[in-house]
Amino acid sequence: MSTHPTKPMAVLLPLPDILRNRDAHKLPIIRLTWWHGALLCALLLASATIADAASAPAKAGVFAILLRWTPLLLSGFGLNILISVMSMGIGTALGAFLGLALISPNRPLSATAWAVTQFFRNAPWLVLLFFMIFILPYHMAIGGFTFTLPDWVKAVIGLSLPVMANVAEIVRGGVQSIPKGQWEASESLGFTRHQQLWQIILPQAVKRMIPPWMNLYAILTTSTTLASIVGVSDVVTLAAQVLSAEGSRPDLLAPIYGYVLVMFYLYIYPIAWATRRLERKYQVRN
Amino acid sequence: MDLIAAWFSHLNDTTGINFTVFYDPFDRARFAHGFLVTLQLCGVTIIGSVLVGIFGAWGQGARSIWRRRFVQAYIQMFRNTPPLVQVYFFYFGLSALLPTVKDAIGNAHPLIGGFIWASISLICFAGAFNVEIFRSGIEAIPHSTIEAAEALGYTRLQTYRHIVLPLGLRICMPALTNNLVNLIKTTPLAYAIAVPELLYVSNQIWSDNENVPEMMILLFFIYIALVGLLVFAMHAWEKSLRVPGLGK
Amino acid sequence: METAAADANAPPAIFTRTRVRVGLIISCQIITERAGCLTSVIEHIAEPVLMTPTPTTTTPTKGDPIMNIKKRALLGILAGFSASIAAHVAHADAVQDIKTKGTLVVGVKADYPPFGALSPSGENVGIEPDLARDLAQRLGVKVQFVPVVAANRMQFLEQGKIDVMIATMNDTPERAKLVDIVHPDYYASGYNLMVPKTVKVTSWNDIKGEPVCAIQGAFYNKEVAEKFGAETVAFTGVAEALTALRQGRCNAFVYDDTAIEGKLQDPAWSDYDMPLQSQDAQPWGIAVRLDQPELAAFISKAIIDWDKTGLILQLETKYHINHAAFAVQMHNKYK
Repeated sequence: MSTHPTKPMAVLLPLPDILRNRDAHKLPIIRLTWWHGALLCALLLASATIADAASAPAKAGVFAILLRWTPLLLSGFGLNILISVMSMGIGTALGAFLGLALISPNRPLSATAWAVTQFFRNAPWLVLLFFMIFILPYHMAIGGFTFTLPDWVKAVIGLSLPVMANVAEIVRGGVQSIPKGQWEASESLGFTRHQQLWQIILPQAVKRMIPPWMNLYAILTTSTTLASIVGVSDVVTLAAQVLSAEGSRPDLLAPIYGYVLVMFYLYIYPIAWATRRLERKYQVRN
Repeated sequence: MDLIAAWFSHLNDTTGINFTVFYDPFDRARFAHGFLVTLQLCGVTIIGSVLVGIFGAWGQGARSIWRRRFVQAYIQMFRNTPPLVQVYFFYFGLSALLPTVKDAIGNAHPLIGGFIWASISLICFAGAFNVEIFRSGIEAIPHSTIEAAEALGYTRLQTYRHIVLPLGLRICMPALTNNLVNLIKTTPLAYAIAVPELLYVSNQIWSDNENVPEMMILLFFIYIALVGLLVFAMHAWEKSLRVPGLGK
Repeated sequence: METAAADANAPPAIFTRTRVRVGLIISCQIITERAGCLTSVIEHIAEPVLMTPTPTTTTPTKGDPIMNIKKRALLGILAGFSASIAAHVAHADAVQDIKTKGTLVVGVKADYPPFGALSPSGENVGIEPDLARDLAQRLGVKVQFVPVVAANRMQFLEQGKIDVMIATMNDTPERAKLVDIVHPDYYASGYNLMVPKTVKVTSWNDIKGEPVCAIQGAFYNKEVAEKFGAETVAFTGVAEALTALRQGRCNAFVYDDTAIEGKLQDPAWSDYDMPLQSQDAQPWGIAVRLDQPELAAFISKAIIDWDKTGLILQLETKYHINHAAFAVQMHNKYK
């Protein structure tokens, strides 16, 4: 059958996309449509209605309870968002430097950066959080100034470390996705390495980094709930406290945790949508 | 073994660096048990989530739009919400809707314990990602290959089993490895519902001995070793599965 | 070139030092204040009036790990910092100082009913705020409350953010090194079991081999497991543990007896009970800064007076909890 004995599966030769750009799949891309949210809401409504019907007439209805505690839960969710925004900011700033160190021609520097990146990418987030909560003091003195570090700030620091490592990988992936010819062409035009990087490569690479960066933010936002385990009063802690304030009624569990799920879904949906838009936009241009 | 114990005991006496798990029999036993539970949790969830990925990817290619929509809804729900809340939702929420068993004195107890709920929710969480990963692997297979299989008289299931899945698996191997690493990193979540895994026992040990930094270092070391082991195994598997001509 | 410039700009050494030192103290003060404000604002948003204490804030552990690690790491910083604090707060007579100031700032719990909680209108209510009001009345000043949690109460006191701390704190030798714990101790609490009424428990040995819900990090978990052979199922927070108890995942919940008392007042928990004797009662102490012997002596007198008049027993009755053995014993001792 085959006339090329050295290529027994010639029919498969077209190089699959995924193999061409492995790094692109390091972080899963989130894809959402509006009806997923609608479905989730419907599920919440269903569970709440069942619970509502099942609860004795003497007790308050599930919807009334959800409504009563909504401002409180939203304030907890606000803390989650605050933590996610701050960790993302710090992690991005540090990660940009780390990513540039990763692609540095200086071997010792890039090797150190590689080790740091691997460590923080492979350590469990929850363990990192615990580490920060316990190891960081309540006060920190930097150059004579003393800062108070409440638990949520420690959580920000703990979460920004894995973000830093992931951002570093995104930076490296983005820079490496620019064809080598660009480096060579700019070099032949007399640009220094510094100029090549900042004037030629990075302006193009940044665009490609944005979608995976936004995707990382979505993942980080879901991970902020881990802070509740280490004692931060975020929305999950508050949900548990609301349950307890309502006397730990078993029929309330599914609606309240479902409610928290919906909050996160509604927040992440626009981000995921924008990520997909941007991704498509840059794909066309390339 | 005694020598190691003696050395760590000496280390504690001289420097205050307190690795109780190496010389205190009680701590060693519970730490070993926690390690075992973590290994079980990793094993069960890795196998379970890969199976979910395989079946989910098959369901995504189904002709029935409702089956495709069901798979899609499952993926979106588990990918875009916090895994911690999922664990609570399963353990507290869904569990409350299930029937209970009565014990001798008439108290109702839930049917399913923490370990199983943790496994289920972690499988669902990682499985959702695996479905997408397998799908991307499958989509990378040239359409002509599938047409060729159809022309040879394969049914949809046969094509999936013998052609699409083996080739897709090879293509999506790097992404799969990455997701399974993520899964191992997510298992400490079971701590939240009192599954006595590594983080849980470590917390008990450091509460009793006040040796948080030592236990933390040990935890980091073990998790990074576990991740390294998985990556090594997956690379070896990837190599052994390599088909000449595919991709390279 | 650079060194020359630096030299030219440098003022005489003695001025630099003083200026830096003054600036340092002022900026520290400002920063701690602000950070503190931010913290309390956020805590206010995030920790509202709920019946449940959070894990980090409640469990009065013998040496809670958080405190200890912090202490270890902190000692160095504190050592360097205490000089400036001392300069700020040390006065001839702290009692006189408070009288001149006109307010007594007291750190109390806001999440530990009935000992310290917030009323729906945001007022501090409970046994400890009442004790603080009594102290202020004796001093003839107004009282001002600062909500504290286990993780920050010592620091708030050391910083001078609060004058007195009445916040369910166990009197331990390690803590006595950092703050002045006034004697006699004003209260004591142990651990106990919260059990569904359907479960018959008559002695602590009945829990052998039974699943018992607990809070991660509480010092008595080990004792309950080793001494009584219970299988502890430890959760991250009180709310989770209570939910698990309600769901029947365990037959009992081991927690501070004082907190269980508070919980049992809630009609939602009327099917639950605390049938056993409390174990391992630990005394609670009121704390002031180390350098204020007059204030400590004043409070000590007040505590003896509370024991004499039975004020603590009255407050227990006012907040519907049983008389603690310790309170009764102290009343008998001083009456």
